[in-house]
Parts: sequence; structure tokens; C-alpha cells
Amino acid sequence: MKELVEYIVKALVDNPDKIEVKETAGDYVTILEVRTAPEDVGKVIGREGRIANSLRSIAKAAAAKQNKKITVEIITDEERPAG
Amino acid sequence: MKVTKMKGKSVDEATKSAVEVLGGKVEDAKVRVITEGKPGMLGMIGGEQAEVEVTLKEGRAEDGRHLLQEVLDKMSFMTMVEASLDGERVNLKVKGEDMGRIIGKEGATLKCLETLVGTMLGRLYGERIRVSIDADGYKEKRSKALERLAKDAAQEVVESGKEKVLPPMSAADRRIIHMALQDEAGLTTYSKGEGKDRRLVIAPK
Repeated sequence: MKELVEYIVKALVDNPDKIEVKETAGDYVTILEVRTAPEDVGKVIGREGRIANSLRSIAKAAAAKQNKKITVEIITDEERPAG
Repeated sequence: MKVTKMKGKSVDEATKSAVEVLGGKVEDAKVRVITEGKPGMLGMIGGEQAEVEVTLKEGRAEDGRHLLQEVLDKMSFMTMVEASLDGERVNLKVKGEDMGRIIGKEGATLKCLETLVGTMLGRLYGERIRVSIDADGYKEKRSKALERLAKDAAQEVVESGKEKVLPPMSAADRRIIHMALQDEAGLTTYSKGEGKDRRLVIAPK
């Protein structure tokens, strides 16, 4: 699932080498956190969140095939924890 | 599209050899500079090589096919994608297993794939590209059904002389009906309402 999200996001941004996707697998839900270069955040979210919502739907469809649940979070710089 | 990374004395040289390796033309290459490189003393000594990642475009239909196929492969769906060009629009057709999941509720997942692949392709070409994705003939069947609905409703309007308001529909669905009825004599179509409640109206002229 990480590979899917990484592939799509990298094709959308100006700085693909700045993309980080962190996968945390819980008992019920897998969480994918996507970090981009600050200037690329808008490209991953899209107008009115269109891109981000499509990305979530596609990830959900892929996860559902394996009877799993997934959450995709796009982390903006302000939310990045210190350190 | 084909992608490779290449090093060279300069960005230009690295790009040229990457294009050569991929077997294409420089004008079809999208270049991302990884390191600019620095010229060294006496040729390369002390210098740093430039590195680039070159994506070679192979035409929007083929590149669209490639992007969608990669996405579906990474979703672990066994599929085959075919591509064609319809004027400016890239048409992609998916065949394979588990089509219901790829289509989604009322085609919602197909629409999401369209948004993503369209944007990815648009980024590669630096312009807006319209992409239409169909799976297992879903859209074709749906558009036939909508055309039938439109003709029946049009018949009703002709007979009654009164306008008819259809249920709320997406822009794509309304477009199909506008097109289906554009040549009907004595009728006109327009839409009213906003957002999710926007409905198409068939009215006598």
C-alpha cells in the first residue's frame, strides 16, 4: 500500500525525492502518513481536496480487496513534530 | 514513458546520455536535476558529477496507459489497460478481475482514478489532459442507459407539451443527456440547481 501511495504522490510533485511515506500497521487500521516539501503540499491536496480525496479512495479500494482498512494523512509542515 | 537516472560531466551531458540509453529524442524528455555537479580542476579532478532523472514521453495515450497500469498493479489488481486517443482526450479501458471494486459505487472509484491519472499525466506534459477511464464497459453501458432515459423523457415532453425535470446527476451524466437530445426538434435542455442538486430539464421549445 505504501508503494502505491508513494508512486502516485511522486508523480504529482516538483520534488519527488522529498516525499516520505510512513506506514504504521495497527490491528484494525493501517495509517499512511505522507510528507512532502512544503511547496508541494498543495499539489497533493488539490483544489478543494480533490486529489487527496481521490488518493484516499484508491488506497481504500486497494485495502478493501485485502479486507483491510486504511487511512491516508497528508502532513503539512506546521503539524510536523519538533525534532 | 520510460525513466532512468544518469550521471555526467554536466546536466546537459547526463541528459543526452540518458535520452540515448532510453532511445528517444531530447524534446520528449522531462528532466529532473538531482545534482547540478561542479566542474573540477584539470577535467574531472575535484569536480562533482551531475546527476539527472530523465522521463521520456512516449505519447499521451501510451503514457496514460502506463500510469494507470502501474497504479492498478500496485493496487494488486490483475488487469490489462488499453489506450486510445479521442481527439484531445485519452481513453483508457481496463479489463481483468475484480472490476466491481475498480468501478466503485456508481463509478466513484473510476472517477478517482481519472482524477489521479489525469493529474499525473498533466504534470508530465505540463498541461491539462482529459482522461476517461472505463472498466468492463461500465461507462458505455451507463451512457447507453442514460441515452434511453433521455429519449423516453423527451418523448413524454413532446406528448405532454410540459417540461420535465430529471433527478440530480453528475456533470458527466448531464452532458451525455444534453448530447443525446441536442438534435431533437422542438426540444431544448438546460440545467438548474447548484452542486449535488443540479438537475437537467427537458423543455418544449
